[in-house]
Amino acid sequence: MNVHLKEVWVLFFLLGVIMLNYPFVQIFNKDVLVFGFPLLFLYFMVGWPISILIVFLFSRNMQQRREEDRSGEEKEKPGP
Amino acid sequence: MIAVELVAAISVLYFGLLFMVAYWADKRREAGRSVTSNSYIYSLSLAVYFTSWTFYGSVGRAATTGLDFLPVYLGPTLIAFSWWFLLRKMVRISKEHNIVSIADFVSSRYGKSAFLGAVVTIFAVIGIMPYIALQLKAVSHTFDLLTVLPETVGPGVKELIPVLPPYIDTAFIVALFLGVFGVLFGARHLDASERHEGLVAAIALESLVKIVAFVAAGVFITYGLFDGFTDIFQRFLTEYPEREHLLLLGGSQTSYSMWFSLTFISMMSVMFLPRQFHIMVIENSNEEHIRDAMWRFPAYMFLINLFVIPIALGGLLLNQGDTGNADYFVLQLPLQTGHLWLALLVFIGGFSASAGMVMVESVALSTMILNHLVMPVILKLRIQAADISGLLINLKRIGIIAVVFLGYLYYRIIGESYALVAIGLISFMAAAQFAPAIIGGLFWRRATRQGAAVGLILGFMVWFYTLLVPSFIRSGWLDSSLLDQGLFGLALLRPLELFGLTGFDIWSHALFWTMFFNVGAFVAISVMTQPAGSEEEQGAKFIDALLPQPEVLERKRISKAPTIMEFVDLMTKFIGEKQAHTAISHYLGDREIDERGSLSEYELPSLKRFTERTLAGSVGAAPARIIIENYLATRGSRMEDVFDIFGSVTLSRTASREQLSVLFESARMVASGADLQVILDDILDLMVQQFKFDLCVIRLLDDDKNTLVVTAQKGMTSSHLGQSERNLSMDTYIGTAFLTNSVTMVNDTDYIELPASAQIIHREGISSFAHAPITIEGDPVGVLSAFSRSAKGIFTEEFVELFKNLAAQVGVALRNARQTGRLIEAREQEKEMQIAKTIQLGLLPTRIPDIPGLRLAGRCVPARQVGGDYYDFLSRRENNIDLLIADVSGHNIGAALIMAETRTFILARARELASPGLIMQAINEFFYDDLTSTELFITMFYLRYDADLRHLTYANAGHNLPLIWRGRSACCERLDAEGLILGVKRAVAFEERSTTLEPGDQLLLYTDGITEAEDADGNFFGDERLCELLGAYHELPPEAIIDQILDQVRLFTGSQGFRDDVTLVVMKVS
Repeated sequence: MNVHLKEVWVLFFLLGVIMLNYPFVQIFNKDVLVFGFPLLFLYFMVGWPISILIVFLFSRNMQQRREEDRSGEEKEKPGP
Repeated sequence: MIAVELVAAISVLYFGLLFMVAYWADKRREAGRSVTSNSYIYSLSLAVYFTSWTFYGSVGRAATTGLDFLPVYLGPTLIAFSWWFLLRKMVRISKEHNIVSIADFVSSRYGKSAFLGAVVTIFAVIGIMPYIALQLKAVSHTFDLLTVLPETVGPGVKELIPVLPPYIDTAFIVALFLGVFGVLFGARHLDASERHEGLVAAIALESLVKIVAFVAAGVFITYGLFDGFTDIFQRFLTEYPEREHLLLLGGSQTSYSMWFSLTFISMMSVMFLPRQFHIMVIENSNEEHIRDAMWRFPAYMFLINLFVIPIALGGLLLNQGDTGNADYFVLQLPLQTGHLWLALLVFIGGFSASAGMVMVESVALSTMILNHLVMPVILKLRIQAADISGLLINLKRIGIIAVVFLGYLYYRIIGESYALVAIGLISFMAAAQFAPAIIGGLFWRRATRQGAAVGLILGFMVWFYTLLVPSFIRSGWLDSSLLDQGLFGLALLRPLELFGLTGFDIWSHALFWTMFFNVGAFVAISVMTQPAGSEEEQGAKFIDALLPQPEVLERKRISKAPTIMEFVDLMTKFIGEKQAHTAISHYLGDREIDERGSLSEYELPSLKRFTERTLAGSVGAAPARIIIENYLATRGSRMEDVFDIFGSVTLSRTASREQLSVLFESARMVASGADLQVILDDILDLMVQQFKFDLCVIRLLDDDKNTLVVTAQKGMTSSHLGQSERNLSMDTYIGTAFLTNSVTMVNDTDYIELPASAQIIHREGISSFAHAPITIEGDPVGVLSAFSRSAKGIFTEEFVELFKNLAAQVGVALRNARQTGRLIEAREQEKEMQIAKTIQLGLLPTRIPDIPGLRLAGRCVPARQVGGDYYDFLSRRENNIDLLIADVSGHNIGAALIMAETRTFILARARELASPGLIMQAINEFFYDDLTSTELFITMFYLRYDADLRHLTYANAGHNLPLIWRGRSACCERLDAEGLILGVKRAVAFEERSTTLEPGDQLLLYTDGITEAEDADGNFFGDERLCELLGAYHELPPEAIIDQILDQVRLFTGSQGFRDDVTLVVMKVS
């Protein structure tokens, strides 16, 4: 499970690097207003919290799994 | 404007609040109820990253160059993805190794290198100084801004004229305050590993104030002064369409390369700035907190950055597009619009940002300075004081103040001329230089100290040249011709276009060149060099830090469970009896001990680990493991002696790590049980390699020649020193060593004493040498010699001790080998005996001839040592029988074979030879040559009985005299006839005698195993007793008589077995 987790984090990291840099950013690098916001500003200010949300969801999931593991272990332990 | 008094009072009050919070947190910690040990406080304290540089400078940057303030926050958000395996690893390592700073971390990774620690410290101080200057600048500037008249800060005002008289230096006062605060909460105790909870609490509170103040200002400007985000964007784009690049990327102001560079630099610096490292790693109280910080910290940054662009654009709109004061828009806008309380809140927020950074940074840097710059000097000076802790804590306090004031000095000299962001980024780039050595060290086994050191130094040199030098030039400190023409007028060395690399912004340019040299040197030199032993060991610990520790789970049984006392004995050998007992009682403390006073089998593995750890404290981790594993593997065997030898050395504790490791390595070789020659060669190889001897020789005593003969030799070829034998004489050093059973050595051959040795030693160019006797059970059996051509004085007292122990180990190896040899010999003998016994037993008759009027029985009881006893019954004709009994001297296969031959001879020839005398004569002649050549002889008694005539004819070849018990007279007769033992003389005539037997008579043949059986007093059983027994049991059948006789002999000797073979033949006439 740990190895799997590490790979996912690395994947997110690489995805983040790609989405934050040329040429990906170029897609949004336009002189356009969307809902009154400059497109690039909107991209960053929406993409950023989304990435934070992903980390949040993922770390919560990680914690739950860990707690389940722990409680599972405790159940398996034989009584005194 | 706000009155100076009010601003000062509020500042001091806020300072007091911070102090109280910090004090409270420290008290709570002392009471054991920590307030800071939770993931909220941890995440908040990480926001110490967010300094006044970004508090004010982000807006300034956004207003002047656009979006490029963002990478400084996007980078950390990205790297946070990696925290679960990067940061957690760093935290785990730091906790396990008691690491207290980033310099400590780097130095520990590379084999506790003091040099690397010092390098990192110096670079960190130089790199961070501008950053501290920046904080002081921000606080003092905003203070002035708050207190001047409103009209003097209006649009277009470049020069701020402080309201305070020039002799009051705000920056100085601020520096003083921050320094004192750092001392109060960063240097109250000396133990740097102790976490500073008060400091963390104050930082967390400051982070809270920062975000509240900034968001409040943002909301006020966006929604109070304007009509929300869209309103600001719309108005800005209408009013300043030519500045739409501020909202775009890829233009001349914010190129993509710069965007990437800034992201990268920020990613690295959020990990490796000394203060970030301190707060994230050292002050971390629980690894689990990292998981929440991974999203809370980015969320904090997002929230604070949400309003940067609105504030910047709003500021531009309200200041008619003037960017002169853009760095302070956050403060200026509320001030301009008369919202003084908000301005004050913003000022406190900015002050928090500065104060937090300066305090943590100064504490972190002073710890590094103390540990890596001052401490080595103190140790070198050998300051003799009973307790220097008082001195050290004061040095640390001075360090904190000094760091803050170095920043102040920098600010006074340079700071005014540069924009906030630029100064900050210079420090960021400095922190990024630590990245290759640390990240490489965390994941790359081959990374070496040399690589890390050269990479760091080169990186910093390039950093200095491409960033710091241009900043000096801009502030007028250096001549600007350097910038245009390059160093020494070489265009290739232009600081901003190094080696002709043009077209890049200053950050990308500097990043490329610093990383090019830093990473390049790190990788290249690491590949070319070998990590030292200790380095490799440390490296493995760092790299494998997050691997699950298999030994924790491993609870397999140790076969042949050792007892607690065995572990105590082992520890005693290394750490002394008292400490060993203290350690074990400490360990046992509350553990379960079963009724037999021993640990349960599942406790043993952990006791093993405990012992290993205890030993590691005294001999190092790797040797401890070797000792434990070898000890358990060889427990109960003679290898334990090897461990006894360790004990005597390690107890002295003066031997160096390298020397000890040689000893352990050689012990491992001895314990390996390999072939003796291999062991000896390996030990010599080890000595040659580790101590750079030119020649090492082992000579062993040859008992026959009484000389010392070369058994193993390594190093240079020297026919005399390395190959020839040595007489045992006091004229040579080697002879003296052997004869006196002590080490002889010459540390400088210019002053050699024994003339016999001098000539050859000088001819071979030997500078120093030593001989140590190799002993077995204390007796010398050989000499271990070492020669060095280059080093004089190598044989110090300590080294001689080691040398002696190596010789002792060679002795153990020899003894083991000899014992093994003897064992093999004995085994072979035993095998031979077994063969002989099989032959012998195979010769004995399996069937008793059926002759009317005769009852026969015979038995041979072999002793432990096989004998050459033999008896046989031969029936040549009906009612006619030959009886013979013989004993071959010697107890081996040869004897058994002779016996087999004899039997064959008799079987073949007995029929044709007329009488016992002739048979004996024939046997003697036939076997004489064989018997003399094998040095064997045979005694034999041969009888021929005619049952019809009851006539007995017999001849004797030196055998025990058979007995006849006459039924009529109830007394014994001895049958005797002249004759020599077979194999003594070639031609012997054997006398032949005869007698007649009556019914009721008994004949007894026996070998000397019966008559020479001894009792406790050494008396023989003798034939008298035999005779009595024959009389006593004459009514029994022959089998039973034999049983009775054997029982009586056993009773007589008092033992169940016989020392020699016992053979009995009984014939009864009826």
